[in-house]
Amino acid sequence: MRGPVPLLAPAYLWLTLAVFLPLSAMGFFSLVSDIPVGGRAWTLTLDNYAEFLARPFYAQLLWRSLELGAVVTGLCLLIGAPCAWVLARTIRGRWREALFILVILPFWSNGLVRVFSWAIALRGGGVLDWAVNAILPWDVRVNLMFSWWAVVIGLVHSYLPYVILTGYVAMQAIDQRLIEAARSLGASRRMILWRIVLPLSLPGLAAGAVLVFVPVVGSFMEPRILGGRAGTFFGTVIEDQFTAVFNWPLGAALSFILLAVVLAVLAAAAPILRRSQ
Amino acid sequence: MTAVLNAIGRGWLILTLAFLYLPILVMAAMSFNASPFYRLPVEFSTRWYAALMGNAALKQAAWNSVWIALVTTAIATALGTAAAIGLHRHRFPGRALLQAALYPPIAIPWLITGTAMLVFFYFLGIPRGSPAVVVGHVALAIPYVVIVVGARLKGFDPALEEAARSLGARPWQVAAWVTLPYLAPAVIAAALFAFAVSFDQFVISYFLAAPGDTTLPVEIYAAIRKGFTPEVNAVSTIVIGLSMALMLLVARLARFGEVR
Amino acid sequence: MTRTAAIAIAGAIALAAGAQAAEIRVLNWKGYGTDEPWAVAAFEKATGHTVVHDYFNSEQEMLTRLRTNPGAYDVVLINSAFTRQAAAEGLIQPIDTAGMKNVADLAPNLAGNPELAFDGKVWGVAWVWGVTGIAYNTEAMDRPDSLEVFWDPAMKGRVGWRDDALESVQFAALVTGQSINDIRDLDAVRDRLARLMPQIRVFWSSENDWNQFLAAGEFDVATYWSGSAARSKTHFGLPVEFVIPREGAIGWLDGLSIPAGSANVEAAKAFIDWMIDPEFYVKWDTEVGAPASANLKAAAALPEDAFNRRVLGDPANIARVEIMKPVSDADRERFLALWQELKAAAQ
Repeated sequence: MRGPVPLLAPAYLWLTLAVFLPLSAMGFFSLVSDIPVGGRAWTLTLDNYAEFLARPFYAQLLWRSLELGAVVTGLCLLIGAPCAWVLARTIRGRWREALFILVILPFWSNGLVRVFSWAIALRGGGVLDWAVNAILPWDVRVNLMFSWWAVVIGLVHSYLPYVILTGYVAMQAIDQRLIEAARSLGASRRMILWRIVLPLSLPGLAAGAVLVFVPVVGSFMEPRILGGRAGTFFGTVIEDQFTAVFNWPLGAALSFILLAVVLAVLAAAAPILRRSQ
Repeated sequence: MTAVLNAIGRGWLILTLAFLYLPILVMAAMSFNASPFYRLPVEFSTRWYAALMGNAALKQAAWNSVWIALVTTAIATALGTAAAIGLHRHRFPGRALLQAALYPPIAIPWLITGTAMLVFFYFLGIPRGSPAVVVGHVALAIPYVVIVVGARLKGFDPALEEAARSLGARPWQVAAWVTLPYLAPAVIAAALFAFAVSFDQFVISYFLAAPGDTTLPVEIYAAIRKGFTPEVNAVSTIVIGLSMALMLLVARLARFGEVR
Repeated sequence: MTRTAAIAIAGAIALAAGAQAAEIRVLNWKGYGTDEPWAVAAFEKATGHTVVHDYFNSEQEMLTRLRTNPGAYDVVLINSAFTRQAAAEGLIQPIDTAGMKNVADLAPNLAGNPELAFDGKVWGVAWVWGVTGIAYNTEAMDRPDSLEVFWDPAMKGRVGWRDDALESVQFAALVTGQSINDIRDLDAVRDRLARLMPQIRVFWSSENDWNQFLAAGEFDVATYWSGSAARSKTHFGLPVEFVIPREGAIGWLDGLSIPAGSANVEAAKAFIDWMIDPEFYVKWDTEVGAPASANLKAAAALPEDAFNRRVLGDPANIARVEIMKPVSDADRERFLALWQELKAAAQ
């Protein structure tokens, strides 16, 4: 059999040219005192990484972002896994295709427009407020806008299709005969769920969870627009280094710290996932 | 009992769909609202659609987005699927590293990756324009494809390929008749991811597209900063409506929900 | 001047320069005057040049675009606080204003502002200026005259603020009696901003945000830009009034510059001259809403009740406005860290 090179080379060469090399340049920037443009003097330094330790609010915000990532991922799994199961196993025929498409389509709308639509829905005097007051006879003020929950709602909405899609792909592959066999051997519903369905769905759900958790930790657009005063996270702090000031070195260093922490979380989670398989 | 559970499951799915469509419906409703500040109740008007018709830049950008997303999807799905198979089938030193290398493009905020690409492409002398945008989009989409297809491969029984080979199938026959049919749902899901990543990708296009010839997210971003949002809602509503019609049509023809 | 005359003169400039029809690439904020469709159409008709726009969303990004796209742009809008930096990095070229007919009408203090004209050369042609001050909902509250309104316990949770470190620090400096261009007591600034946090209901980041938040009643009083406040009132019909507080306000001056490496310098100059023309400005201000023009004739041509004449034309108001000077990278970074820390603590 041939080696892995012909299969792997095209994708990884492409990634190298378009992502890894540019990111290495960023890696270099994270180690200099100033960006070498316009005759600025620069030296190699670890100060940018030391800055993270020197100011405790960076770690505090990073923790806050990890928390956000965990909550959003958890909610996506909780909401998405049952949907994936229903789609993959209980609905048949034309309905399934239609529903499958309906799940994916919101994903194709523009992220920014989606977030702004949530803003219109959540704010005081907005769609939710108006609808609730149209139904309920007494006066209620519904204003979820500019809160931590608004950020969570917006992010769950943006990333939920990832979990449904990957969960669907895994669950759809489970052999019905396995379940039938277990049932005929007298396995309870719960046992089938824990011993067959969940272990076999896990690779898909785990892939979905990773695709949610990883970008959410670094997100900055949804927190900024929906979070208001509660919208300061690690991602927004990184963004500031590129837009508010010309401090790419610090911004790059913070990004790589983010990346290292995210990879560490994934590495820590890997054995748990593997054991349950 | 099963019937009850199924009913609950369906109810859950319907509630979830309601959640997913709430902002889409808001967007569509506001595209017909005369008030530029989204005042309620909605005062019906098609003025934003009329405004859109005269906005050549927005229409051109929408078209750019579609074709760039299609090209990206084709390339990223092919390269990513191959890489997923390669990672699954072979054990070699550095494999774990290659797998870990899929995460930086997802984990590092796109703003930083985009800035890095801009600077790097500038050093290489690659000019701004659609080809540069496609290069960037494909790179961002590949990790999604590898992860999604890789998840499906974990449940793949290598004995199947083994059996096909022992029966005299050539490698391409094994791939075409055994491996790919099994992977098909994942490959389709991955392609949908790739399309979504490209179609919604803002930062890369923002930095790499040629002036005056940008993509929809870039136009939308610029417009939202300045307050022409109802027009943006109108174009988004049209895009969603068209994709829905197109997808349902494709689904009727290809029946991909049923692929086994 | 009549429209035909203006067109004839602009055409004459183009011809005198012997310029072929060129494609002028302009780098600016989106929706900031130069890309008004009617203005571009009239210019294209008069000169034969075509105009293409590209946009930036922060000054840092504008500089990055200039650095990484040498020769790609012919005209760029630069806040005067950044013009020196752009010149020092070799990103822009000096402009020979001879032959630009409207330059003579520019207010001398603006055209000759040391941040635009230095080393004996013109690096940016003064275009428009404005003030960042207070704007409030006239239906919800009485007219405030002091920045203290943002710290007023009665306004708790009714304040809108721009999520910008430099601007926040500058406002806190003004309210603690310091100059925006010489901030010495940073502790006082920090203390003020810490007390501001619970007052803030929402951060706004764009004009669109601002208008929507005000319309939705999210805030009653907020920091805002003078030109945008005028636009909220005239163009969008919102109950907004702009105030230059008694402690002072942050002035800014925007110039139009020509990037180094531009292949269409003459066409770029014709475009800049068109942009400082009174005819363009009056239409821009009355129909769309604009910041104040640096051109005296343009300012004088506005209707009596125009915001830019009524408020910004008042010498008593002007005396309280200090134009923002360049801020060093080190200071910007210090202010950002201070602001981020306060925001993190307020979570």
